[in-house]
Amino acid sequence: MNSAVIGTGEISAEHLKFLANSKSAKLVGVCDLSRAAARYAAKTFGADKAYTDYKQMLDEAKPDVVHVLTPPQTHVALATDCLDAGAHVICEKPITLGHDQFTSLWNHADSKQKHLIEDHNYRFNRPILKIEKLIDDGVLGDVSEVDIRMALAIRDGGRFADRNLPNPAHKLPAGVIHDFITHLGYLVLRFFPDPDRVSAAWTNHGGDDLFKYDDLDAILIAGDKHARIRFSCRTGPDCFALTVRGTRAEVQTDLFHPFMRLIKPRKGGEKLSPVVNQLANGLSLVGSSLSNLRNKLMQRSPYEGLHTFLKRTYDALQHGTEPPVTFDDMDRTSRLIDQMLAEGNRV
Amino acid sequence: MKLLVTGASGFLGRHIVAQAVQRGHDVRAQVRPVSNIKDLGWEDHPRVEIIRADLRSKADLDQLVQGVDAVVSNAACKAGDFYTQFAGTVITTENLLAAMANTDVKRLVAVSTFSVYGFLKMRDRELLDEESPLDTDPIDRDEYAQTKLVQEELAREFAKEHEGHVTVVRPGVIYGKDNLWTARIGMELGTDRCLVVGGRSILPITYVENCAQAIVFAAEKEQAVGQTYNIVDDNLPTHRQYLRALNQHRKPRMKSLPMPWLVMRFLAALALGVNKLFLGRRAKVPSILRPAALHARCKPSTYTNRLIKDSLGWSPHFGMEEALQRGVDETDHAALAPEPAETQAVADDTDADRETRTCA
Repeated sequence: MNSAVIGTGEISAEHLKFLANSKSAKLVGVCDLSRAAARYAAKTFGADKAYTDYKQMLDEAKPDVVHVLTPPQTHVALATDCLDAGAHVICEKPITLGHDQFTSLWNHADSKQKHLIEDHNYRFNRPILKIEKLIDDGVLGDVSEVDIRMALAIRDGGRFADRNLPNPAHKLPAGVIHDFITHLGYLVLRFFPDPDRVSAAWTNHGGDDLFKYDDLDAILIAGDKHARIRFSCRTGPDCFALTVRGTRAEVQTDLFHPFMRLIKPRKGGEKLSPVVNQLANGLSLVGSSLSNLRNKLMQRSPYEGLHTFLKRTYDALQHGTEPPVTFDDMDRTSRLIDQMLAEGNRV
Repeated sequence: MKLLVTGASGFLGRHIVAQAVQRGHDVRAQVRPVSNIKDLGWEDHPRVEIIRADLRSKADLDQLVQGVDAVVSNAACKAGDFYTQFAGTVITTENLLAAMANTDVKRLVAVSTFSVYGFLKMRDRELLDEESPLDTDPIDRDEYAQTKLVQEELAREFAKEHEGHVTVVRPGVIYGKDNLWTARIGMELGTDRCLVVGGRSILPITYVENCAQAIVFAAEKEQAVGQTYNIVDDNLPTHRQYLRALNQHRKPRMKSLPMPWLVMRFLAALALGVNKLFLGRRAKVPSILRPAALHARCKPSTYTNRLIKDSLGWSPHFGMEEALQRGVDETDHAALAPEPAETQAVADDTDADRETRTCA
């Protein structure tokens, strides 16, 4: 399939690496407002041509798939034009700034009979796929609690702390947290699909005028089941931790420093299970430490799930099957974000 | 002349502004929107106009450039990941050059670096001059080298596409107050030890005031148009000699562990071989064990400043001993006196002339 990319920021490196190495895709164009950036990306990843005008790229290169990797405020306009040009769209998160916009964009894609796919990359990281299998195999029992916690020291430096040229993410409805909230949303919904009550505390503990919010503490309740979403930039170290508790077992992981801790009934019965869990998880932790060292050396990052996501997406587009991120996944994620931001649900 | 100096609040930029004013020029100094300008040393000088702008954004850049005779493109980013450095070095330059094209400002002095040279393909002890080949495959170099190469390419394109009058200056290692250590010597091991790679290799240094003066010379001299100049000082020391001299001014003294160049070169080649053979060349190796990076940092080469001296009549005013002394004393050598002495634009001045304009 002929593929093209709009936007050559940091995340583009992962998309372009995939496209440069994929047998399913031919990189026909890279576009950025900066000619230097577009040319550098095109040269580095072997694109046919660099563009500074995406409409010219759509017209000349006629891509079958376009990766929209620009700031979220631009997604609707760019995706609409790509769909109009007859291309499927893979779009970075958040795909739109609200559920209404998402519905409208989805309907447009539907009318053009093209796929619109939001990047839910962490859902395809190995630990998440393992947890899904544990649930499918009945090891966890019924999921009754989910905790997701992301901690990032984004106030201490880097692109979000830059006051010289504030990042466009500061102008999103939830400020910079909006740039991460999609990940937290789709992951919690993967294990906790139907919250009927949502309440969220959005706070700016740092209290300056650059950040709109720097902390989110949200509770989701569905019947007798509970989930919690936390985002913090004041507690270290950086983490992306997930705990899923079921009626039979509990599993923990961290997507930034992957490990898997599984507490479940073990052979040996109720009395020996705690000991066997300690031993098994100890061994598992040693293995994870070695794997993480190897990953560090081999430059494998937590973006490993993005490559799986793109591989599955391209397979689906080629074979005409449903992409791995469905309308339902995107719709529910977008609605959840709206619910967390709604004034009536604020704590 | 009226000069625009970008990155004016940085280590080199402050001195370029000071030198330009001392040589009788008016200066428009670009600093970023939230840079602290209280201690620049020339913030209240009547010949300096400070403009706050972020060059990563095109907004207001035409106004920044409008009305100047020449632009000294000095802004660059040396820290952060590739994308941060690309934005801070390449996008900034691209936007600046677009503004120059829009406002018909032709004269550009582009501040580049020795890092653009392809040291790996040079022989040991080969002379590095302006004709030496640039690095054509910088993928194993650091982000700084990668982005500075693109930046230089943009300056050359500006000359071609917009009939720009471009001079490229490539300083070696710039040293001065708060920047006396350089990774070219080797590798710091904690606060008071270092691995000195190739102790007898020559260190291509230029003291920040000397370098700033050379850049101002390049901006004001007609014969500099279309030229590329390497900037290094005279009587360059070896790695060992520089460290010894630095230790005279430094407490605690830096203890050195010598590492012969040939041994380090062998270790880096071995690391590359293992990486290629067993790890598909995907392993992340410390820069000192990557041949392309190691050669750029520590290779025993020889250097010359003959071209800039002959062409522009520049010569470095401060020798290493005096420069190191100025690098550790209490005086801010980029500061200009509040009431500047009468100055005049000078085409060919003498050391005595320059002495009278030494900053406060």
